[in-house]
Amino acid sequence: MENLLATPPDTRPQPPLNSPAAAETPVLQLTNIEKVYQTNTIETVALNRVNLTINRGEFVSIMGPSGCGKSTLLSLMGLLDEPTGGTIAIDGRAVTSYSDRELAGLRNLKIGFVFQSYHLINDLSVLDNVELPLLYRPSLSGKERRQRALAALDKVGLSARTRHFPGQLSGGQRQRVAIARALVGSPEIILADEPTGNLDSVMGEEIMDLLLGLNRQDGVTIVMVTHDEQQALKTKRLVRLFDGSQVG
Amino acid sequence: MLRHLFTLIWNRKRANMLLISEVFFSFVVLFGVGAVLITIGKNYLAPHGFDYTDVWRLQVRAGQGQQMPRAQLDDVLRQVKALPGVRTVALTSGNMPFIFSTNNSTFGYEGNTALANVYDADDRYTDVMRLHLREGRWFEAADDASNHRPVVISQDLRETLFGKGPALGKIFTWSHHGPEATKPEDEFLVTGVVDNVRTANDFAAAEPGVWKRLLPHDTTSWETANVLVRVAPGQGGELQEKIARTVAGVTRQWTTEVRVMNDDRLSKRRYTLVPVVGLSIMGLFLIVNVALGLFGVLWYNISQRRAEIGLRRAMGATGASISRQFLGEMLVVTTLGVLGGLLLAVQFPLLGAFDLPAQPYMLAIAAATVAVYVITALCAWQPSRLAAGIHPAVALREE
Ligand SMILES: Nc1ncnc2c1ncn2[C@@H]1O[C@H](COP(=O)(O)OP(=O)(O)OP(=O)(O)O)[C@@H](O)[C@H]1O
Ligand SMILES: [Mg+2]
Repeated sequence: MENLLATPPDTRPQPPLNSPAAAETPVLQLTNIEKVYQTNTIETVALNRVNLTINRGEFVSIMGPSGCGKSTLLSLMGLLDEPTGGTIAIDGRAVTSYSDRELAGLRNLKIGFVFQSYHLINDLSVLDNVELPLLYRPSLSGKERRQRALAALDKVGLSARTRHFPGQLSGGQRQRVAIARALVGSPEIILADEPTGNLDSVMGEEIMDLLLGLNRQDGVTIVMVTHDEQQALKTKRLVRLFDGSQVG
Repeated sequence: MLRHLFTLIWNRKRANMLLISEVFFSFVVLFGVGAVLITIGKNYLAPHGFDYTDVWRLQVRAGQGQQMPRAQLDDVLRQVKALPGVRTVALTSGNMPFIFSTNNSTFGYEGNTALANVYDADDRYTDVMRLHLREGRWFEAADDASNHRPVVISQDLRETLFGKGPALGKIFTWSHHGPEATKPEDEFLVTGVVDNVRTANDFAAAEPGVWKRLLPHDTTSWETANVLVRVAPGQGGELQEKIARTVAGVTRQWTTEVRVMNDDRLSKRRYTLVPVVGLSIMGLFLIVNVALGLFGVLWYNISQRRAEIGLRRAMGATGASISRQFLGEMLVVTTLGVLGGLLLAVQFPLLGAFDLPAQPYMLAIAAATVAVYVITALCAWQPSRLAAGIHPAVALREE
């Protein structure tokens, strides 16, 4: 599988999305996924036999009632957790066959993750937070890292807040920092858990347009959890979850 | 990454200040306790500077208000020495090793002064006590002709009074003498230098000593004579009784007590052991306490950052880069705390606090530094175990 980061930028006029062959290339493949949370006495089945294939260049939205397992599904796709059953394949290769170091590389280069609860580091400035994924790419110079972080912040409209700390920001601003951090590494896949959940409709639209633009122009594969039907309609494909199972 | 590390340390300065002061206090306590324990241990292991085995001490009493004619005293010494099993006898003063009796004075030489224990000794003294001669010789019959009083001094006194210069043949006296001329017997002529001696107890440090040669007229006013006897190995109660009978045989009124120097040492040790063991237990307790406290504070501080570790993992950090980051942070924080502690601790050897040599202080500094770094390294190790052991999603949930 060729790495998108390695593709020359001048292929842009013909995004892989537009070629039928590329659209059929699976990036993420989930087979019979099961996730059971075991607490002292209670067993919660968060996901039950979920089968899902995400192809390159797709924009998929996931909807479903609260507690149905959307975040759980996303964190499995983001290689942040292991399923209790079933297999996850990334670029056609089972995740369990990757070493810890390789997994770290995948998370760093291939995936940008927007957490539902942002997860910013409170002791780091907005700029440092956004730079974080780039720190684990030793090939980048400090100056380059800084420039890319500033560009990402500019995209989410937070250029004026780079020296602030997360504690000094509104919920919506924090969400946008989290989005900028997911974009900064130019990942192949963006996994966003309710990225507009805390934004007003205007800002929400802007972020949505940003994601749509990334998808269309740069061919970034996006999986987004949302509660907003309007937003879901703008994406190519909608996956509905109910009580841990896929219903459409 | 280095820049990131320092940004992080600076941004977390309040939490880090607490860690730094915890490290500082731990260091100071470890240093203090270490210095005391090392000093005691070092003393205990140091040689005594003489041989107390097979040495007995006699206290020969002339009776209430009676003085001892020198002729009779010599007779007693001669007869005791002649007993089978007795090797040598010597006269000395009452401040024999390991008993509760001291006699010290301040001596001076060209502006240098030193407090030293003063022991009377005759020409046979070192044959009994087996002091370790470093320079010169013990005094002997030939010294009868001397105009001054021959003395042998210990190495530590030699260093204070004469420094690196020669000591043999030099004459010193009491430090407090006025402009009036001293009597010849108070002018001390150095004939020999011996190794340092530890006579107080097994845990005590060496103290400077001056062995003054007894002159015949020194004994004229004695009511009690202190006699040291070196016996053959394995001698016991039978010989002790024989000695007592021998003394009584010379003069009816005279009595004597025979004591074994090693018994004196053991009973003195039993006596000093209580505070020493108490101090050691308290010290070890403090060390364990401080170590646990430091461990707890660091551990807690790092556990608080599980979510951060999860996030970094999610952003593509390897377990190794997490360990490197935390080890780096802890290294900087610990070094700042240790530097503060060092600044305080080096004052002790520099100022020669408590008149102790610098070496135990330096050892204590080294020990405290190593201990503090080991503890912080162990604590910084935790995040890497954490990072390797749990999935980022699990760590992230613990906010
Ligand atoms: N760590 C956990 N331990 C136990 N149960 C968990 C854990 N995480 C999630 N669950 C359970 O798994 C189920 C799915 O949770 P998940 O967070 O995926 O829901 P969601 O669809 O994202 O909900 P929401 O829309 O509210 O964010 C829930 O019933 C939840 O209680
Ligand atoms: Mg959720």
